[in-house]
This record gives sequence, C-alpha cells and structure tokens, in this order.
Amino acid sequence: MKNLIKGAIASAFLFGASAAQAADDVTLQLKWVTQAQFAGYYVALDKGFYEEEGLNVTIKPGGPDIAPAQVIAGGGADVVLDWMPSALASREKGLDLVNIAQPFKSSGMMLTCRKDAGVETPADFADKTLGVWFFGNEYPFLSWMNKLGLKTDGSDGGVTVLKQGFNVDPILQGQAACVSTMTYNEYWQIIDAGLTPEELVVFKYEDEGVSTLEDGMYVLGENLKDEAFKDKMVRFVRASMKGWKYAEENPDEAADIVLDNDASGAQTEKHQRRMMSEVAKLTAGSNGALDVADYERTVQSLLEGGSDPVITKAPEGAWTHEITDAALN
Amino acid sequence: MIWILFVLIFWGAMWAVNVRLAAGPQTQLTKILVPTLFGITLLVLWEGLVRGFSISPILLPPPSMIAQRFATSLPILWEDFVQTFIKGALSGYFIGCSAAFLTAIAVDRSDFLKRGLLPIGNFVAALPIIGMAPILVMWFGFDWQSKAAVVVIMVFFPMLVNTVAGLNAKDKFQDDLMKTYAASYWQNLLKLKLPAAMPFIFNGLKICTTLALIGAIVAEFFGSPIRGMGFRISTEVGRLSLDMVWAEITVAALAGSAFYGTMALIEKAVTFWHPSQRN
Repeated sequence: MKNLIKGAIASAFLFGASAAQAADDVTLQLKWVTQAQFAGYYVALDKGFYEEEGLNVTIKPGGPDIAPAQVIAGGGADVVLDWMPSALASREKGLDLVNIAQPFKSSGMMLTCRKDAGVETPADFADKTLGVWFFGNEYPFLSWMNKLGLKTDGSDGGVTVLKQGFNVDPILQGQAACVSTMTYNEYWQIIDAGLTPEELVVFKYEDEGVSTLEDGMYVLGENLKDEAFKDKMVRFVRASMKGWKYAEENPDEAADIVLDNDASGAQTEKHQRRMMSEVAKLTAGSNGALDVADYERTVQSLLEGGSDPVITKAPEGAWTHEITDAALN
Repeated sequence: MIWILFVLIFWGAMWAVNVRLAAGPQTQLTKILVPTLFGITLLVLWEGLVRGFSISPILLPPPSMIAQRFATSLPILWEDFVQTFIKGALSGYFIGCSAAFLTAIAVDRSDFLKRGLLPIGNFVAALPIIGMAPILVMWFGFDWQSKAAVVVIMVFFPMLVNTVAGLNAKDKFQDDLMKTYAASYWQNLLKLKLPAAMPFIFNGLKICTTLALIGAIVAEFFGSPIRGMGFRISTEVGRLSLDMVWAEITVAALAGSAFYGTMALIEKAVTFWHPSQRN
C-alpha cells in the first residue's frame, strides 16, 4: 500500500515534470488499421523520438469506414496520412489539404491476376472482372484503365468492376480474374490462402508507369499560416522520418513494436515482419521530402482521365517543402 | 450573420403561424398545412445555419446543394434505386415474407415444428448482419442475389413471430362455433384463423419494409458491383461528395416511406373490419 502511494506520488511528479515542459499535442490519423505500413510512426513513438522533440503524439488507427480527409476537416486530427489521388480529389472538393512530407517513395499497389483466368498482359483485361477498392482508393485504378482505353462502366469490350471488400475472396472464389493488392499486405493473403506465385500474374502500378504517390502526410493549409503549428510539424516530420529510417534498418524490431501497439490484437508476427520488409522497399528512396517529379507524374496521370478525370485542373499549392526543408537540415 | 438573423426571424414567424393555425378551427387544409410548414422551417433552418456559420459542405451540405445534386444525378439515382430497392430489397422481402408466412402456418399446424423451428428462427434473427453479409456475398456472388439473401434473413423472423401470434388470435367462442359447423382444417384456416391473423400479419409486413431497405443497403458495403445505393453511399463518403450521399439518403427515405405507406394502404383495404381501421 505504502509503495502504491509512493508510486502514485512519484508518477504525479513525473507527470507534472513532463507537463511543465509543455509537450505539444499532435494527433495523427492513419489511413488504415495499425500495421507495419505505419511502422515509422509507431517506432518514433515507442523509441521516444517524438518525446525528444517535445511532442505528445496520439496515433489514431483508421479502418474501412474512416476517410482521413473527413477526419481532418472535422478537426479530429492535426496530420493525416492519405494517398495523393484521394488527397487531390478532396482538394478539388474544397478541402485545403497540403502535402508536407512524403515518406513513401514508391507505390505498393498491384493488380494480382490468376493465370487460369486467362490474363497474361494488360491487353487481356478486356471483358474480365476486376476487383477494386473504393472509398477513395479507386482513383489510381480508374486512371490506369483510362490510359489503357478500357471502359469501366460494364459496356462491351471494357472491364467489369467489382467493389471488393477488404479481403481477397473474389480471386480465391474465382468471382474475379484480378483483385487489387498491396505488395506488403493482400498479396501475401492470397499466398497464405494457398495459391502459389506461379499461378499468379502481378501488375505493379510502378512497373506499368501509372503509379501515384501513396502514404503522405497532409495538413490543412490554413494551419500552415500559424508559425507555432509549422514548428510543431517540423519536429513531427523530423521525428517521424527518424522513426522510418530506424524501422528500415531494424525491420523485425519495428514489426514487433507495431504488434505491441495493435490494440485490436488482430495482427500476427509473421505477417507484420513480412509487411515491414516489403514496406521498407517502398520508403527506401525517400528522406521525407516530396519529389516534385513524382508529384507531377501523379497529377498528370490523374488529369488524363479521358471523359471522367479524377481531377479537372492542375492543383496549386497542394504541397510545400517548407516543413521538410526545415526538418531535414 | 445576416443568414442567422434571417433564419431566427423566419423560425419565429413560422412558429407563430403554426400556433395560430393549431388554435383555430381544424380543417382538412390546416391538417396538411401545419406539418408542411414545420418541414419547410426545418429545411430553411438547416440551409441558413449551414450558410451562416459557413460550415464546410464536406461535413454538412445545405439542402439546396443536395437538391441540385439530386436533380442532376437522376439517371444514377434511378440505376441505384433499381439495383438496391427493386432487385435487392423487394425480391428479398417477397421471398423472406412468403417463406415466413408458410413456415408460420406449418408451425401452427404442428406442435413438433413449433418447438423445433421457432428457436431456429430466433437463432437466425440473432445473427449479426455485418457478420452474415460478407459470408452471403461469398456464397451468392457480388450482385443483388447476395443482398436479397441478407434481406431474407433480416425479415424472416419478425414476420414469422407476428404470423404465429396472429394465427392464435381467434377467440375460444369462434373456435367452438367452427367446431359446431364441423369445419375442416382448411375451412377453419381460411375462414377464421387467417382473417383473424391479418392485423398481426400486416404488422409484420410493415416492420419488414424498413428492415428490407436497411438490409439491402448495408449488405452492399461488403462487396458489390459498381452501382447500388449502399455502394454509392460508401464510395461517395470516401470521395467527400457528401451532397451525393444525402441525395441517396433522400431516395432511401422516400422509397422507404412509400413502401411502408403502400403496405398501410393494403392493410386498410384488407382489415377494414378491425376496430383500429374503423372511423
């Protein structure tokens, strides 16, 4: 009992001490559930990188019914992770999202097809059924199909699109010839379900030249006018990138940290370690600063939408190097 | 500011008008006018407050924007309506309610089935829809068939319980009278039990109208072709087109009310003899 009271007093002091330093609160909204896709942030939290920068970071997991853009619009987060196509589309809807850092250099999106469904090259897509994620994740697919000249409205000679749930059942059941997968997640679910890599054909968006930028950090433009907020973001980006580089070098430890932080308990060690090693390949080329050439390519691919482009005009002020310049010096 | 002021004045004025109408003589006109004014006031309040506080349309679009989106997207809304309501909800409703009706008659006839089937019906009704929907999508495919299957599961139990209760609603004297006529089972069923059960059956049918629509929409969240009200709602939320989401909600509300209203009208015609329907 005595010890308990002592402990309580000690922790009260500790709490007072950290409050005295006035750690700045930052809330980060993830795009999806807790998994190694977000390892950098969990590592930065767990290893105290955020604390070193005087930040008190709260990481909110996402899920199938959470649109990061809507969360930030409602004031539920300071920073959100989003894919650029969805962020730019939201921007055109009037939400002033600005990219402040881009830890993912390459795209992990693929279309995974069964060979026995008769798909060898993109030319074979015509008249096949393809599984796609929606909820803002459909834009890269739509712009690729536009580029291939395939209609997605179900008319002859085009492709039939299925809204796939967030699992890979349609390809296992043979309801779709191809499904959308990420190199670090769903592809391995197909493998775990018993299909072998020899039975599958994968089309990486990266290889097809239609890749768009994935997980980036976005904030509201109006907040960037505030110097205090900017300073907070500089520290946040610096600590997050430190977390990412640490995760790349120590993938197994990073995966374990993610597992420790997974409140749902749904993730397994095998899957997370594999995911971390795949995610490390995507973050490897980035120091956190947005590559303007990648940005231009993403915008170009979204504008080339034929009759139904994802965005209708080139966005202005959708990104800034201000934060990363200050953070990474 | 001017919007908020206008809204407050409009609200007060409409309130005063309605109070005066309610205090005055009740005619056919006032009966329609009072709720209509109330609805209009709500819409004006919504519009004015959204504009007055300049709330982002991503969070809550004003009704005028929703109406505009509704008017310009009629072909899409119609396609979604046919996919979800006509194909998914109506066919599931029809299959589920008829199956429950026939089961109820069997249950009423045989005590064995009553003790065997009712608990199973209860069990099926307790299955969570978000657990069943993905499984049914796996079994019946992505198109409307799997949505109809979800609806069947949702409407079966309420319909069954209501019909079984209805078939027991006749009273002892009526039963005795039929016995003195030496009525056969079928005569008894058609001439006494079913008519006496009608108020209960229509209760079940009315409850199931809204369940069917909810089931068909929610089932589309777990995989669907790229049309349908549930698909559109979940997709457009992700795209931040909240005006389209509200347009779909409007369609769902209108369709649901019309469906319920139709059932209520049929009920009125069928159970004209019941005390609750007499004027």
